[in-house]
Amino acid sequence: MSSESLLVRKIDWGTVLDHIPAWKGDQVIKLLNLESLKQNPDVSVIVLHNVPSKKLGRKDIVKLYHYMVSEDEAKILALVLPQITINYIRDWKVEKHSPGLPEKIVGKIRCPETTCITNVEREPATTRYIVMKEHGVIACEYCDTLLEIERIPDFLIG
Amino acid sequence: MPSSLSGGREGVSPLGLKNTLAGRDIISCRDLSREDAELVFRLAEEVNSGTIHLEDTLVGRKVALIFVEPSTRTFQSFYVAARSLGAEVLSIHDPAVSSIAKGETLYDTVKMIEGYGVDCIVLRHPARGSARFAAEAASVPVINAGSGSQEHPTQALLDVFTIKSKLGRVDGAKIGMLGDLRYSRTIPSLCYLLAKYNGVEIFFMAPHLLQVRREVELYLSERGVTYRKAVEADEIKEVMPELDVLYVTRIQKERFPDPTEYERVRGSYVVDAKLLSYGRSDLGVMHPLPRVDELSPEVDKLPNAWYFEQARNGLPIRKALLHLVLGGAE
Ligand SMILES: [Zn+2]
Repeated sequence: MSSESLLVRKIDWGTVLDHIPAWKGDQVIKLLNLESLKQNPDVSVIVLHNVPSKKLGRKDIVKLYHYMVSEDEAKILALVLPQITINYIRDWKVEKHSPGLPEKIVGKIRCPETTCITNVEREPATTRYIVMKEHGVIACEYCDTLLEIERIPDFLIG
Repeated sequence: MPSSLSGGREGVSPLGLKNTLAGRDIISCRDLSREDAELVFRLAEEVNSGTIHLEDTLVGRKVALIFVEPSTRTFQSFYVAARSLGAEVLSIHDPAVSSIAKGETLYDTVKMIEGYGVDCIVLRHPARGSARFAAEAASVPVINAGSGSQEHPTQALLDVFTIKSKLGRVDGAKIGMLGDLRYSRTIPSLCYLLAKYNGVEIFFMAPHLLQVRREVELYLSERGVTYRKAVEADEIKEVMPELDVLYVTRIQKERFPDPTEYERVRGSYVVDAKLLSYGRSDLGVMHPLPRVDELSPEVDKLPNAWYFEQARNGLPIRKALLHLVLGGAE
């Protein structure tokens, strides 16, 4: 089977997330919290695992049919999986997107510190992190606790 | 929070210096510059020596003390400081009988107390991040009187003030911190403030389980502060002769998942005349108090005991800080 036929069919509208390290495709799904899109009947998600790649040897690809990844989501994806390439497809036209680094991440991630005010029940506190890429961590702006960037998928909200 | 709150003479402290603290939140020692700290110290010194009287400089102002954790010492210190400056004090102290026990959120408590027209909120709360959260909710300055195991900036101010007055300097000071460095709220604040001085060296003397948190280490290394860790009894003895100050904190048994491990290490972290014999004769011993058995009473009568004077510095420091934050009249 050629690698061409492995890529399933092309999509006319949506997002293609390419160059995901092999077997990390599910992490992308978690990062995007696609579970919440289950109600949306228009969205299809195609995950390809362990596809041959010139750049990475093997890689994963996630195709999001009828779903445009937001700028905030793109930045967080690029932070957690720096090799990722993000392609927006509109009317078959492919537009490559290179998101910058997020300076801050608001919401989305639970604070790993159980005694943090953002983990106190009913308290209307939204998590907020400063990204310290050079140290490989994000820091909770409320309680100062550090979270390794690679551990972010374990603390996603929702 | 807004700096327009400062009353008295526009942004000037009684020392004639610019009041950089007027209207500011005091959440973390990360936010305090050396100049901010020195301003508090100079005013506290004048208060101590009686050359400046701050009495009645906050007449007509209201200070709220919200203490969602039992803490008689810090509460009383802030209470007496605020009252002696002439401020009216509103306090929510005993969580057992207050609305907080009935499940009111910190957010609602802050909003409710602001409705009484307070000029400043002093907060003690068990959650890390509580002070910053309260400051974002409040339109008046918030002073952190202890946010869980995170920080206790007014304790650090009085600690560094004590080091400065007893040692004669803070720059180049070699400071050992012994005991529970992981859950102690005073240790991070002290480290963040010491990092604003030049050539300070810190020695973290604690078992692995209770060593200082990573964000504190990161903060120090980013600012070029030299620090070292001593874990075993031998390493602690080795470090002792280098120290100008030994800062002791309490080790709580509950922090150890294995009680036998607690029994094994506790002896290495008890400060008595024997341990002090490894240090220089002028080594200063500090402790945020109250103590249990980590600091032997036999140290009390030695000239090395700085901790009672340290405790006495709490009041002038909190008076000076309240006066500056509230921009009190002269
Ligand atoms: Zn946090």
